[in-house]
Amino acid sequence: MQQYIKKDDYETVQLDNEWIIMNTDQFTVTKLNDIGGFCWSLLESPQSTEALTKSVKVQFNLDNINLSNHIEVFLCELMDFGLIQHAV
Amino acid sequence: MYKKLLKIGDHTVAVTSHSTTVINMFNSNFLSINSSIKEDLSILINDNYGVPFVDYNVVITKSQDSISYKRKDYFITVDCNYTNATILVHNELALKHALMNLYSSFIVHHNWGLLLHSSCVIDKGMAHIFSGHSGAGKSTAATLSQPRALLSDEATIIKITTHTVTVFDSPFRSELNAKCLSKPYKLDTIHLLNQSLSNSRERLTRGNSLLHLMDKVFYWTESSTETRKIFKLLHLLVNQVPVYNLYFQKNNTFWEMIS
Repeated sequence: MQQYIKKDDYETVQLDNEWIIMNTDQFTVTKLNDIGGFCWSLLESPQSTEALTKSVKVQFNLDNINLSNHIEVFLCELMDFGLIQHAV
Repeated sequence: MYKKLLKIGDHTVAVTSHSTTVINMFNSNFLSINSSIKEDLSILINDNYGVPFVDYNVVITKSQDSISYKRKDYFITVDCNYTNATILVHNELALKHALMNLYSSFIVHHNWGLLLHSSCVIDKGMAHIFSGHSGAGKSTAATLSQPRALLSDEATIIKITTHTVTVFDSPFRSELNAKCLSKPYKLDTIHLLNQSLSNSRERLTRGNSLLHLMDKVFYWTESSTETRKIFKLLHLLVNQVPVYNLYFQKNNTFWEMIS
């Protein structure tokens, strides 16, 4: 099962319900909502799409059948932004 | 050798040069002081370097004990502690840009504050910043704010601590000369400018404030350590000062929404 992890200890701040991540290698800034921020904090350790989906369901009391797809897209975007990598 | 002691922010900066032309460039906009206080930063400046302004491209080179910033019209070398610098310039514009480059790097290095691409106006004893993309109306807002005193018309010097944010008079001017005010003013608001047919303003979330201010900071660095410092300083800033989107008519009525 494919797992993901943060690429580096990038500077992150939580402001109200928004999370801002500064990629200090690429000089880019990414803003996440509270669910994205929750996932980001979990990515401190290796996470699969399934594991993240389960954690989000519990934390936010969600029952969305498409949640897993949304998490997958979210992880792809974080990969594109150079914020996470495959956990070996 | 000619020497001048200047106050920039709350720092004492000594400038020396063999050239009277260079020293005379500090006659306006800069606050000269007579003091026996040891300078925070010492700069040796000389002219006859390079060519007139070509572009904003700065090449940064870091060695074990110094950092250099090279543009076609200026060359800066500073030690790693930012205490002694040498600047070579082509002309007055190059000197202004080189000093902005050096001073912004100096204040970030010391975690003291930021140089923000903006104008700043004093109203009822408080500082109000007007920022925005190029051509958004920073100097227009400054001009329309007269007779209120200005702290900057192009680059605002902001001191940021965990409990307060203050603005100092900026010698880095584009059109409107400085009155060399010596005391700092508490920063009350930051407005991001948008010219409009009617006046209105909306407060940004702190997250959006931080995002919008990122590209308004003057900085030249390829160091992730320095970038982290800028990010943390901006975080402290948006935690203490509200940021608004300001839609304003080209007259002074927008002040009715601010003061």
